[in-house]
Amino acid sequence: MADDSYAREEEGFEEEELDETSFRSVKDAVLFAIDVSSSMLKPRPSADPKKPGEESPASAALKCAYHLMQQRIISNPHDMIGVLLYGTQSSKFYDEDGESADLSYPHCYLFTDLDIPSAQQVKELRSLAEDEAVARDILKPSDERVSMANVLFCANQIFTSKAPNFLSRRLFIVSDDDNPHGDNKSLRSAATVRARDLYDLGVTIELFPISRPDHEFDTSKFYDDIIYKTSPSDGEAPAYLQPDTNTSTAQGDGISLLNSLLSSINSRSVPRRSLFSNVPLELGPNFKISVNGYLLLKRQEPARSCYVWLGGETPQIAKGVTTQMADDTAQAVEKSEIRKAYKFGGEQISFTTEEQQALRNFGDPVIRIIGFKPLSALPIWANVKHPSFIYPSEEDYIGSTRVFSALHQKLLKDEKMALVWFIPRKNSTPTLSAMIAGGEKIDENGVQKVPPGMWIIPLPYADDVRQNPESTMNVAPEPLIDTMRAVIQQLQLPKAVYDPTKYPNPSLQWHYRILQALALDEDHPGTPDDKTKPRYRQIDKRAGDYVLAWSEELDAQSAKMFGGTAATKSTLVKRGPKENPENADNARDPPAKRMKVEGGASDLDDEVKRNFEKGTVSKLTMPILKEFLTSHGRSPVGKKADLVDRVEQYFEQKS
Amino acid sequence: MAEKEATVYIVDVGKSMGERRHGRHVTDLEWAMQYVWDRITTTVGTGRKTATVGVVALRSDVTSNELEEDPSFSNISVIQNIGQFLMPDIRKLRDCIKPSQTNKGDAISSIVIAIQMISAYCKKLKYKRKIVLVTNGTGVMNSDGIDEIQKKIKDDNIEFAVIGADFDDPEFGIKEEDKDSLKAKNEALLHKFVEGSDGVYGTLEEAIAELDIPRIKVTRSMPSFKGFLQLGDASKYETAFRIPVERYFRTYVAKPPSASSFALRSGTQREEGDAPASQAPGEGEALTTVRTSRTYQISDESAPGGKVDVERDDLAKGYEYGRTAVHISQTDENITNLETFAGMELIGFVQSDKFDRYLEMSNTNVIIPQRANDKASLALSSFIHALFELESYAVARLVTKEAKPPMIVLLAPSIEPDYECLIELQLPFAEDVRSYRFPPLDKVVTVSGKIVTEHRNLPNDDLKDAMSQYVDSMELDLKDDDGDTIPGLPIEESFSPLLHRIDSAVRYRAVHPNDPILEPSQRLTKFANPPEDLVKKSSQYLEKLMSTADVKKVPPKTKGRKRQRETEKPLSGLDVDALLFQEPKRSKISAENAVPEFKQMLSRAESVDTIHDAVRQMSAILEAQIKHSLGDANYDRVVEGLGTMREELVDYEEPALYNEFLRVLKGKVLSEELGGDRRELWWLVRKSKLGLIDQATSERSEVSEEEAKEFFSAA
Repeated sequence: MADDSYAREEEGFEEEELDETSFRSVKDAVLFAIDVSSSMLKPRPSADPKKPGEESPASAALKCAYHLMQQRIISNPHDMIGVLLYGTQSSKFYDEDGESADLSYPHCYLFTDLDIPSAQQVKELRSLAEDEAVARDILKPSDERVSMANVLFCANQIFTSKAPNFLSRRLFIVSDDDNPHGDNKSLRSAATVRARDLYDLGVTIELFPISRPDHEFDTSKFYDDIIYKTSPSDGEAPAYLQPDTNTSTAQGDGISLLNSLLSSINSRSVPRRSLFSNVPLELGPNFKISVNGYLLLKRQEPARSCYVWLGGETPQIAKGVTTQMADDTAQAVEKSEIRKAYKFGGEQISFTTEEQQALRNFGDPVIRIIGFKPLSALPIWANVKHPSFIYPSEEDYIGSTRVFSALHQKLLKDEKMALVWFIPRKNSTPTLSAMIAGGEKIDENGVQKVPPGMWIIPLPYADDVRQNPESTMNVAPEPLIDTMRAVIQQLQLPKAVYDPTKYPNPSLQWHYRILQALALDEDHPGTPDDKTKPRYRQIDKRAGDYVLAWSEELDAQSAKMFGGTAATKSTLVKRGPKENPENADNARDPPAKRMKVEGGASDLDDEVKRNFEKGTVSKLTMPILKEFLTSHGRSPVGKKADLVDRVEQYFEQKS
Repeated sequence: MAEKEATVYIVDVGKSMGERRHGRHVTDLEWAMQYVWDRITTTVGTGRKTATVGVVALRSDVTSNELEEDPSFSNISVIQNIGQFLMPDIRKLRDCIKPSQTNKGDAISSIVIAIQMISAYCKKLKYKRKIVLVTNGTGVMNSDGIDEIQKKIKDDNIEFAVIGADFDDPEFGIKEEDKDSLKAKNEALLHKFVEGSDGVYGTLEEAIAELDIPRIKVTRSMPSFKGFLQLGDASKYETAFRIPVERYFRTYVAKPPSASSFALRSGTQREEGDAPASQAPGEGEALTTVRTSRTYQISDESAPGGKVDVERDDLAKGYEYGRTAVHISQTDENITNLETFAGMELIGFVQSDKFDRYLEMSNTNVIIPQRANDKASLALSSFIHALFELESYAVARLVTKEAKPPMIVLLAPSIEPDYECLIELQLPFAEDVRSYRFPPLDKVVTVSGKIVTEHRNLPNDDLKDAMSQYVDSMELDLKDDDGDTIPGLPIEESFSPLLHRIDSAVRYRAVHPNDPILEPSQRLTKFANPPEDLVKKSSQYLEKLMSTADVKKVPPKTKGRKRQRETEKPLSGLDVDALLFQEPKRSKISAENAVPEFKQMLSRAESVDTIHDAVRQMSAILEAQIKHSLGDANYDRVVEGLGTMREELVDYEEPALYNEFLRVLKGKVLSEELGGDRRELWWLVRKSKLGLIDQATSERSEVSEEEAKEFFSAA
């Protein structure tokens, strides 16, 4: 059978995100700086009487940090995260030797050092966010006011020593104090100078402001002096992004504060890295603008398994080192000595490295518009992989943004698409693609969910389109369609759209949930929380009667069209009963029974169940066991004893 | 399994085939061989043992065939008996095929020989039999007994084709003027022969032209899922339904042929006898396959180099959770796998016009009813039509096999006159969506939160109009080869450029090992540019658009950081530089805050002396960092410092200062003055491309590109 994960191998080289600056490593470090003051620690009760509960801004911030930490272990396993509490009574930092207890940064408490998180750190952060006993000791606000200059320089030192040379370094400040130093000029100017140091170091400050119930957070009082429009490491960031409005106006309610903070932090969880940058978008001969490309949709796979060395005190990951050697001499071969050749006619046809490159070269990177078509010309089946997203850049052509915007508005308004010849980077394979405009989408918290821009959807080539397989066709008569329509109308998703954020990948989440339990020596988490499972009870309640009506109609129509015996013959495929045991089974137990709305169980199910109850499953024939297993989504492969085991397991789980 | 094939090519090598006609730069034989080589190498490329080929030369100097005793079969020689064709056969054929010194030899007789060869090879077995005759039709042909030959061809079910150089073909539009009367007679004879044997008759020019059309490999799909499309839980509710369905690929990216790794054979160390016989001398280079071997290492600070090898047997399977290694014992190897059961379960329905097309994440599949199940097809048909009538799509959870991870898929109805199915494709999960935020494109939000609708980054009405007119004028109206309009997108007419280019390059090189590689055929790059007539038609609108848009190319020199200087202020616009100036301690760069203070010192510098001083201080800090680094602990910091210096000094047009420092540093590193062996650091510097600033990077540099290259290679 074909493998669905084929896309995985394909991508490797083509999809690596771009290393824009040559010497910096493409990694991200996020340091949370969470203000610990009495107002931050004051619980805010829920405004909704149906959902009681309370949450303080500080614990909301810690939960967000914990959530982000867990999420990044899955999505960015090589990126760093840390948590710095400030305004605490106690202080904690490391000195030059990495030991603790240096008091150079009073009231700064480095709770989680900036690093790739360890399982232990995840656990500690969770207990701080959830366990009040731990929290009470550490989250004790100091009486003395903390100097913001000190906080910022402390962050500076953490970034300098722990994340040197990272392409992206970000400081997330969570606070409800919009004016920490009031009118104290010297403290203010010290803070602005330290903020400038961070800017020059390439650290971006992102503020998550929290309004107090009686006071709106006003960034102009202090923070506008320490936050910069652009970051030197990401000069391409089109403009400064507003803090999300709803976060700042969270109306006193702790839970909604947590939710809006979560959605705001989630939207910045990954630094913006481009897939390709400053590629010309060619609207016509001699008319180009520049755009950057991003990967906004990409299948997140669990990290591959690795080898762990158990010979030492703590388990250690063993790194695999591959050496290539010539088959004839068994001597190691340098990469430069390796020649690529194609097997042909029993020998190898080889090309020089230059020729290999020339064969792959179809010109410089470009997105060239070939012409326009109505959006309806793009069939839903014409897809082979995820799309790329493009957004204008002023780097190579001044005026790119306004031209891009004009095109974007035109395509949106007239529902058109552009056919483009697309070469994302040097020597990458050209694709013929559809370029469509996508509008901006905002969620209920006012946070941008989908950015405005264009999407480039690679089309299949003629080589990639498969023929339709032979199929039995019986067009349903109107009355039958009518009854099915009634079923469908009952089961629309909310707002009649698919919202990906409602469906976490259950196998990915489960994989990391188990790893976390193993790493922390926790109990097995029991049953997984699978949001992709249909809501069976609701389906029964809302559509049950309609399904029954459809099923009756189906029986009636099928009796009319194919005769009462529910003939299973097809006009296209003929299979003798002897060659195919499954078919023989069908004759005795026609699909009509399986097709029927199953009154709990079909005849086949009844028979197997009876045997199970009598303990005689092993007396059933292989075809019956196989069919039973297949119809319940279980693998029908194996020896009879295995199948019997699986059938018995099925019933044991049910009871 | 593909069907077994036996094809015999009859190539006319008569003396007259050596002539160039009608202004062509190739001889008739060379021309004909373009066709024959293409066919043969295509067969070789399949690598199938059962795709067999034989070659017969017609009007050859020698006679060598089974019936050679009979004078009517003279000047016909079998060059290659039917069998799998391999590289040595290609070389042999290349050497054999040359124009002969004679025009004698009967084409009809050669067909008899070919029939004989096929009969002898295929016997009564199931084969796809084929004979292709390529000739210029100038030899003498004997029409005796052709009825019997035609009958034999039909009885044996042999596909027969005649491809002739300059043969008249009114359909293709070829008519040779002043045709030789013998040739005209031969053409008529062959035409009649072909008609009587249900064969194909074509002119060579058309055959050559068709070579340009890439051949698509037809793959028969296997079902990737057989199970039930179901609504509700049948084991708990009486109201669930299940329709047996099957799933097949609709799209699947065809991959270009892949190259394998080889190393040059080390000729001297081994004896001749060890070399495989297939490698003929003088043909390309002798290659040997490359094997990979894997060893495992862990870090151990006490070991030299910080790493030690460990045995494969001491390793357990595991995963990384953050930086914690989690090992998994063999008994619960699948512990992290989610327990799932096969099935396609409906989750709910969405409106098709609200579906965002860019959410499609995968190749697409078709879902059809279980084979030979009328009731299933009836049930699925009602589902497909109901979706269609409601303008809806279904969202479902698909597990293709027990224990496979679930996918969320979209099911869209597809109804054609003679085919109904669901189109299925994967949708993203929450984790697959990356939220990068971008400002709106139809308005500008200022720092103070004000919304502006007129801005240099926003199009004015003139620009919007000009764009609208241009887009409308560029509406595609594509035609296929027959001049018919292509209704939708030109998917059927577009071919994977890389796949076909590599495929033809490999086949071309097999026959012409010493020729350079060819440019991609025009067919492959047909859609690389807009159609010419469309460009012409829309040019006035494009001109209007360009003048309205007023887009300016940024000269390469002013690209980059310098342009942003103006924005180096916080949101409030506060002049932080003035504050910095007041800070007394900032004339000395401190080691712990080196990068910011270095930058600030430069931006404050009023004289070159200050720049020199800053560089001197920074150099000392970097050298100290190297010297005091425990192993590689400080290396990343050093690289960051060096990188910053390099960037800044390029910007301040003082490349010499950096180059001078780097030369000194290299000397110190290599002579182990900075705390022992620091070669790994130097390797890192090289990898990070932090070499000398050359003239291409900075005009003020006196270092040439070669010199900069040399600087590293001489390490």
